Amino acid sequence: MNEIFNANPTIYTKSKRSLRKSPFETGQSLWVDDIEQQDWSDASNVEPIDQDEVFDLIRSIADPEHPNSLEELRVVSAEQIDIGNNLITVEFTPTVPHCGMSTLIGLSIRVRLMRCLPPRFKVDIRVKPGSHQSELAVNKQLNDKERVAAALENPALLETLEKCLATAGSQE
Amino acid sequence: MDVDPQFNLQLVVSLPGHEERAWQVAWNPAKPLLASCSADKTVRLYSYQRSGDDQATSPSFSHISTISTAHTKTVRSIAWAPSGKTFATGSFDSNVGIYEKKEELDDENGLDESEEWECVTMLEGHETECKSVGYSATGTLLASCSRDKTVWIWEVHPDADFECMGVLMEHSQDVKCVAWHPTEEILASASYDDTIKFYIDDPSEDWYCLSTLTGHEATVWSLAWSPDGNYLASASDDLSIRIWKRVDQYNWKFVHQLRGHERSIYSVSWNIGKGTSSKNMGWLASTGGDGKINVWEISQPSEQATKDTLCSKLIASISSAHDVSDVNSVQWCPRSGFEDLLATAGDDGSVKVWRVVPASS
Repeated sequence: MNEIFNANPTIYTKSKRSLRKSPFETGQSLWVDDIEQQDWSDASNVEPIDQDEVFDLIRSIADPEHPNSLEELRVVSAEQIDIGNNLITVEFTPTVPHCGMSTLIGLSIRVRLMRCLPPRFKVDIRVKPGSHQSELAVNKQLNDKERVAAALENPALLETLEKCLATAGSQE
Repeated sequence: MDVDPQFNLQLVVSLPGHEERAWQVAWNPAKPLLASCSADKTVRLYSYQRSGDDQATSPSFSHISTISTAHTKTVRSIAWAPSGKTFATGSFDSNVGIYEKKEELDDENGLDESEEWECVTMLEGHETECKSVGYSATGTLLASCSRDKTVWIWEVHPDADFECMGVLMEHSQDVKCVAWHPTEEILASASYDDTIKFYIDDPSEDWYCLSTLTGHEATVWSLAWSPDGNYLASASDDLSIRIWKRVDQYNWKFVHQLRGHERSIYSVSWNIGKGTSSKNMGWLASTGGDGKINVWEISQPSEQATKDTLCSKLIASISSAHDVSDVNSVQWCPRSGFEDLLATAGDDGSVKVWRVVPASS
């Protein structure tokens, strides 16, 4: 990366990790189909999900330009996750309003949830209103499934994404 | 929302097979064939037939071929030529593939009925993902569009030869869909820039953009001309379908809006349907991220005074059409006698065929 968008971010203490292990937190592979131990087709298997479980899935994703997690930079928080009827809305806060990494951060959150959650959940991802100068453009891109699908077939982008996701789910 | 109970969407067949998301379905306009394309880079072909001539029975479908395309990424779009002898594919690898059936000479019967399809040419030109392809009514022109913001018009020559007639750089963002007028050489395109544009060929000049429609508040995903060509339907991320009327040769006007989806509307299809009213303008089907299929009967109002309006009635609807998956494509069967059949493609990798049947049966 040639340009550092926020050279000196504020780093916050991590909150204590919730002790229970989410049943969703198993996926390392790109496609949910590969998760062998879960049978999502069985209706009796439908588990409710809460804010903390979703937060646990995304808190340890690495920031693309700092050696910190999204939680440490307060890019994501449990309060910014909304759970509806099989609809999860994740809001995130770029560290600076001109952050050029915002779409990559949003994409990493989307891919992490796509890999871990059963397909019945629809996910909307948005930047916190007023936190980014290109708020509408970032939101539009992150919620366009065709653009997301194409991005994941771009090897260079996928490699960058995998670096952000390598730490996701880590217990530290 | 009012749903007229006189029709149901009856599942005719579920055709699993794609290993990843199925993006689009395409009925062959001339032969009993249905094609689908997928992120798994294949095209699957199914044949169908009715037992006997009784139109009350649903046809049965069988898988006849899985074509490993020459594309290196997702096959996003598929379209048949009007002859039914050729189909085009648009891929995230930015290329457009042209496929024809291998003709193998058989000593006794002339042409052998093999189902081997081969890529006869690969059209390169787009810089990024190709999102949609479509043949004109006569099959002499092919259009493609891409995230590179362009629409390309290709002239179809014999022997799989194509000549680029124009590169239209009118949209400010990705072009999501191209759709040719059912009889004239007018092309419509829909975009991530929320607009719809129309193009024609100036005989003395090049292809040019003659009109732009604004009104949608988000990405326009899909377009469908009415069977008579006097209207265009557009489906958007703003959860609405708009119907635009052609008010004079090169002008369109917004006349009607349909609402009935809770997530992005990814696909819309319009055909004559099997409506009976004299004012009937056909059946319009829509589907999207909410997994729902809606079928609307479109008709003209009876009073002359309101001639620039349309009436619509939701006549059939089904939720969770592909279980929890998004439904990416819906298309009416264009063949005579099968106007009540529609096919869908979903994120679950399956293709489904549905029939609009009277609720009593």
